[in-house]
Amino acid sequence: MKIGILSFAHMHAESYVRCVAALPGVELLGIADDDAARGAEFARRHGTRFYPSYAALLADKPDGVMICAENARHRPLTELAAAAGVHVLCEKPLATTIADGQAMLDACRQAGVILMTAFPVRFNAPIREVKTLLDKGGLGQVYAANTTNQGTMPGRSRPWFVDKALAGGGAMMDHTVHVADLLRWFLGQEVVEVYAQGNRIIHADTVAVDTGGLLLMTFADGTFASLDCSWSRPLVSQTWGGVTLDLIGERGVIKVDAFRQNIVAHGEHAGKAQNLFWGSDSDAAMVAEFVAAIREGRQPSVTGYDGYKAMEIALAGYRSAETGQPVRLPLG
Amino acid sequence: MPGTLTDSLKVGIVGAGGMGRVHTTAWQTTSATVVGYRDIRPERAERYAAQYGGRAYDSLTALLADVDAISCTTPTDVHYEIVMAAARAGKHVVCEKPLARTLAQGREMVAACRAAGVKLLVGQVVRFFPEYDRAKRAVEAGMIGRPAVLRFSRCVSQPRLNENNWFVDFARSGGPILDLMVHDFDFARWVAGEVTRVYARSLRYTHPAAGVDHALVILTHAGGALTHVEGSWAYPPTFATAFEIAGSEGLLTFDAETSAPIKFLRHKPADQTIPEVPLPSNPLRESQYVTEIKAFYQAIAADAPVRVSDTDGLAALQIALAAIESAQTGRAVEIAPVANEEATR
Repeated sequence: MKIGILSFAHMHAESYVRCVAALPGVELLGIADDDAARGAEFARRHGTRFYPSYAALLADKPDGVMICAENARHRPLTELAAAAGVHVLCEKPLATTIADGQAMLDACRQAGVILMTAFPVRFNAPIREVKTLLDKGGLGQVYAANTTNQGTMPGRSRPWFVDKALAGGGAMMDHTVHVADLLRWFLGQEVVEVYAQGNRIIHADTVAVDTGGLLLMTFADGTFASLDCSWSRPLVSQTWGGVTLDLIGERGVIKVDAFRQNIVAHGEHAGKAQNLFWGSDSDAAMVAEFVAAIREGRQPSVTGYDGYKAMEIALAGYRSAETGQPVRLPLG
Repeated sequence: MPGTLTDSLKVGIVGAGGMGRVHTTAWQTTSATVVGYRDIRPERAERYAAQYGGRAYDSLTALLADVDAISCTTPTDVHYEIVMAAARAGKHVVCEKPLARTLAQGREMVAACRAAGVKLLVGQVVRFFPEYDRAKRAVEAGMIGRPAVLRFSRCVSQPRLNENNWFVDFARSGGPILDLMVHDFDFARWVAGEVTRVYARSLRYTHPAAGVDHALVILTHAGGALTHVEGSWAYPPTFATAFEIAGSEGLLTFDAETSAPIKFLRHKPADQTIPEVPLPSNPLRESQYVTEIKAFYQAIAADAPVRVSDTDGLAALQIALAAIESAQTGRAVEIAPVANEEATR
């Protein structure tokens, strides 16, 4: 099986490349990138071929591609891959508009190819443990959740993250979809209403998009969940951020911190404390699922539709922040 | 006039319950004398008189006649009548939080105390908690720049008074949004400024069959900062508090669990009794309630302002009531901050 990478705009591509290389029976076909210098450099670093164009890579008939382009460029690359009959694992958020997201779902369905959304937190071991616990009824009925997906502002190393045209927004676009997806998965229900507020106080001098945000989602049965999506971790933090969920239910409270499995290191040369993560690699499990779905000719456990619904929640958040009132879903 | 003769300041306790005890022992660390207790159940006042000195009064009027100040530690819905009576009698008041059950009552109480020239301290005691006070001072010192996104959490088990459990009577207490979260609304406003929009969700309205309440609230501050507040009576027995303040130039975080200096791991669970109303525990050389009452004593003695002004009490009440309205209607509630009325007056 051959897997290619379309664009290295998103830093996750580096991890995905390593995951592909580690899978038995899977060949890393190469990297195509419209930023030729970047693509060539990463191809050299990972000992793989650089393709000067996306079409050239697709012409070499990969079984699947992983799209790590800027958010707004997910659609054209997905359509290109679908037209070539190639399965797609697309970085999150799936797209930046309802129209783009819908077009991606349609293109892949019509071409009969897989569209998987890159939600690695779904494959995070503590998160899966909580899912199992919930499915066994350990918490009884879930009533509410208090969640966070905070991080450092990513624009310094990747400026497109803070360019609204390419990213579709700021912190709310970047950090809503992971937890929104986890909650949909945990609860087996859709969000029917979103209230959100955003601001731009942190990094106001360097960034034109929202850097702070809070959402409160309501699910079909009334279960509600808040999410702090802010880029509020200082650049001097010992971590990029994290994902936490406190679930309040009939039998008590479950608190999960998806990235707590760290050793804390204080090195005289590092300048600040660092977290050394020792937990299971969720990216590897996610890429393995993509490959397994292709091999077995089935839908992956995380679909393009999941990505679409999570993106819709982020978009509803922006709409709510504008009007100051909750917004009903689905968005039309 | 009140405010003189503080060496012999005489204090009465109205409401001889759990907080009545806390106030009594706090007053006794000052030079004031607790002269008596009033409770609608006389045996409770008698019990406190026997335990702490002073005497039981069979009427509020009689108690007010004998004191310079009172602590109002009754259920929330009767704060109004007691504080109004104290103001009419020209007595200073420490009123447990929340100030009142309705905003109209709160406004009247503040106006009456001002007209009578008596001091009113609303027991928003979190301003006197050293961890919160330390954070406030760090923000004021510019350590984290301009506050941007604030988070507060206050999660306890549902109060379970053995008799007259007024806490669970929403009409009397306003539930955890008014009884518990009012602390964090007050503190958030102290740090990040006036609040102009409130949105809330609460189990009371989404899952009434749950029988316990848990609420999540988003506050929008006039200056653009955002605050997330979690308040719970749905937790197993505990008193879990946490906060973080993310600013333009840094981040402050606090978690009572991780900062607890003592952990006692027992071989056999001792006969732990679950408290009726959980209160936070943190070894300090002086209880936060003592700090609060001492501050009020000194404010009376020096005729100086108190750290929690009457406007602060009213403003926190306004935010809490807006949160309840939002949880009930499902709409965000815009508020015109009470403090702005004063500024334009």
